[in-house]
Amino acid sequence: MAEEKILYDYYLIYEKTDNAKYISHLDFVRTYNRTMRRAGLPVAFSEGFNPHPQLSFALPLSVGYTSECELLELKLTEELPEAEIRDRLNAVIPDGIKILEAHKGRSRMKKLRYARYIVTPEIMPGSVDGFLNMNEIIIDKKTKSGIKDTDIRPDIREIALSDGKMEMILCAGSDRNLKPDVVVRAMNRYISGYDSGDCEYHRAAVYDDEMKIIN
Amino acid sequence: MSTVNIDKILKRVQKPTRYSGGELNSVMKDPEGADIRYAFVFPDTYEVGMSHLGMKILYHVLNLRPDTYCERVFAPWVDMEEEMRKENIPLFSIETRTPVREFDFVGVTLQYEMCYTNVLNMLDLAGIPLLSKDRGEDAPFVNAGGPCAYNPEPLAEIFDFFTMGEGEEVIGELMDAYKEWKAEGGRRIDYLKKIAKIEGIYVPCLYDVEYNGDGTLKSMTPNCPEAKPRVRKRIVENLDEIVYPDKFIVPFMDIVHDRVSLEVFRGCIRGCRFCQAGMIYRPIREKSPDRLVKDAECLLSSTGYEEMSLSSLSTSDYTRFEELADRLLTLTEKEKVSLSLPSLRVDNFGLSLMERVQKVRKSGLTFAPEAGSQRMRDVINKNVTEEDLMRSVGLAFDGGWLTVKLYFMIGLPYETDGDIAGIARLAEKVAERYYASEKTNKRRAPSVNLSVAGFVPKPFTPFQWAGQNDMETLRRKQQLLKGEIKNRHVKYSYHQSDVSVLEGIFARGDRKLNAVLVRAFELGCKLDGWSECFDMEKWRRAFADCGVDMDFYTRERSYDELFPWDFVDIGVTKDFMMRENERAKAAVTTPHCRLKCSGCGAASLCAGGKCSVYTEESSLKKIRELKENG
Repeated sequence: MAEEKILYDYYLIYEKTDNAKYISHLDFVRTYNRTMRRAGLPVAFSEGFNPHPQLSFALPLSVGYTSECELLELKLTEELPEAEIRDRLNAVIPDGIKILEAHKGRSRMKKLRYARYIVTPEIMPGSVDGFLNMNEIIIDKKTKSGIKDTDIRPDIREIALSDGKMEMILCAGSDRNLKPDVVVRAMNRYISGYDSGDCEYHRAAVYDDEMKIIN
Repeated sequence: MSTVNIDKILKRVQKPTRYSGGELNSVMKDPEGADIRYAFVFPDTYEVGMSHLGMKILYHVLNLRPDTYCERVFAPWVDMEEEMRKENIPLFSIETRTPVREFDFVGVTLQYEMCYTNVLNMLDLAGIPLLSKDRGEDAPFVNAGGPCAYNPEPLAEIFDFFTMGEGEEVIGELMDAYKEWKAEGGRRIDYLKKIAKIEGIYVPCLYDVEYNGDGTLKSMTPNCPEAKPRVRKRIVENLDEIVYPDKFIVPFMDIVHDRVSLEVFRGCIRGCRFCQAGMIYRPIREKSPDRLVKDAECLLSSTGYEEMSLSSLSTSDYTRFEELADRLLTLTEKEKVSLSLPSLRVDNFGLSLMERVQKVRKSGLTFAPEAGSQRMRDVINKNVTEEDLMRSVGLAFDGGWLTVKLYFMIGLPYETDGDIAGIARLAEKVAERYYASEKTNKRRAPSVNLSVAGFVPKPFTPFQWAGQNDMETLRRKQQLLKGEIKNRHVKYSYHQSDVSVLEGIFARGDRKLNAVLVRAFELGCKLDGWSECFDMEKWRRAFADCGVDMDFYTRERSYDELFPWDFVDIGVTKDFMMRENERAKAAVTTPHCRLKCSGCGAASLCAGGKCSVYTEESSLKKIRELKENG
């Protein structure tokens, strides 16, 4: 019988910028595991013949997206000051990833319902009112059961235009999830004469169902 | 100096971390502060190149120099190349995204023949002239090393120079010579003549080549006093004193060998007659367990890798293997790191070690009898008997393993159809062994995976004179073997025969093949090591367009023929290889180095002409043990 160990919960808020935006979610998980090892943190390992650190990520970030609000929960076998965890990880983490905060306890990641994205297109649409007033916005979208024509309108909470940027608040999480590149694809299709060109995507914040920021 | 902007195209390609850089432990220097900029090119994709140990070592050695900045360059995958050509982005380095043509050196490691067209494609993408003679005074020095450089002739018109042997020491000498040459204000040819005097360096344009009427080599003569008639390979004698990286770059994407790799020894005592690595890396030299444990600790903490493996040609031949395994396991168990032990002999010790390493999971075990009959194994000097194999397989099955993988070759010299049928018989015996034992679980079924490659005669082996089977013969033998397998637990897979033939042509090729390579590149050949890209029809056309006969290169050769690679001195003598070929004909084996010295010649590379097998204390102890055990 394995000895019962007391485990300590922590969660991190981190950013992913610059070159790190090209790291896929799966590769990112591996990168984090190795960072934990390098930092020499007393990470709790899963049982089994291939033990790996017990980590859980809130919401996978697509390849090419940057973010300042990523959430990650981990378990340690010892209690450590929050600032020490943050600093030890930042000392050995690849460029473009940075731990902004470390907190004791569990995060509210299970409550995550919305995310706010900042999209920077090469060309701004004049207006999105007509687009948002459509009864349904049908676009082919990857779902759990393959690529399907889907109405994404219900998953768009808000799109605002300002300063050469689009701000989108979209459904996020395991239940209903909409990515802003899908919205941009729909805009290119339904806003006549519009061509966004290549866009930059940035996740700025995540919220619960009452639009309270999760951090 | 300029840099390229790839941000836009990275969004459109698969696996962008192949190109984006910024990996942990990659070396970032101020390019302006470096006197010498060296682009280290691996002529295949990132995930293949990043797995290569030699590149890690030389990258580290060069970057230890404050005056030098070494950066990495890999072949772009098809989608990336398309984007680069569309946007006019030249081939660039990973670290600083500097165009490769702006470097002082472009150093290519040649690991296998099927990467040769990638070299040309990459030079073209870089905007560097393909042929050495067309490069201007400002062009980088394009050079190569690695196992395929031992027969440099098929690429002699492409590279400015080649390095023979181990690079750790000579690469520094090349950099020093570069700075001297720069200070002297010489021309391009002056640098090449200067380094032609360094041991291990071959500058092809300093040699004239003449052919006989039948196309064979008549002579190869230096055309200037600086060039040596024979170029001797470089070795590093004491592996405990060499530089080994204290950090490995940790890629984001999953690469082929994504782990800490410890180089346990160089060289091999075995002397399999088909094996080029077993000859060119001689003499055998080991690292001490102390040094290896130190390297392991250092690399695990700097990389955070969860896996470590040992690198050598035959792990079990390491003289202090038990001590090393024990110390490394103590370390890896503490750090929750898994240890993989490739090329481990399966005996009682090996198996108990594997149990300890693998704990629960019993993945497949690999055996390489290489040939199906005892006669054939004697021909190739693979000193493994059927009893040895059955004992090992029996231990594995009884120990709970279900899957064994067996490696064989077909098309070997002096082979008969009976030897090929022998492969099927042996594989079936292995499968039957599972059911013959009382200890195995009969509710489960064993699986014997048979992997069969076509034999490729390589330079610097006792089989360098051998004829290579043509594609039709190889296909016939593949089908023959397929028909012989009756046991449903035996699964058979084989390699593409046309790739083996092409590999053989370039392995034993001469300067006439440079034109074929250029033509193949023009016709669109690239990434030939990837079956989805390989196109034999284009290759056939390239040979036809150049009027070069493929059969000339696959033919059997006579002892009096002068080979294009004979000017390279690897220590092991041509005379030894001839003796070995004669023993092969008579199916007589040759004992390994610790049982008896066969006078291969490699000892001449060591201080005092004495091979480490007979000077190292640990090796002498092993020899005494072998004698005591008969």
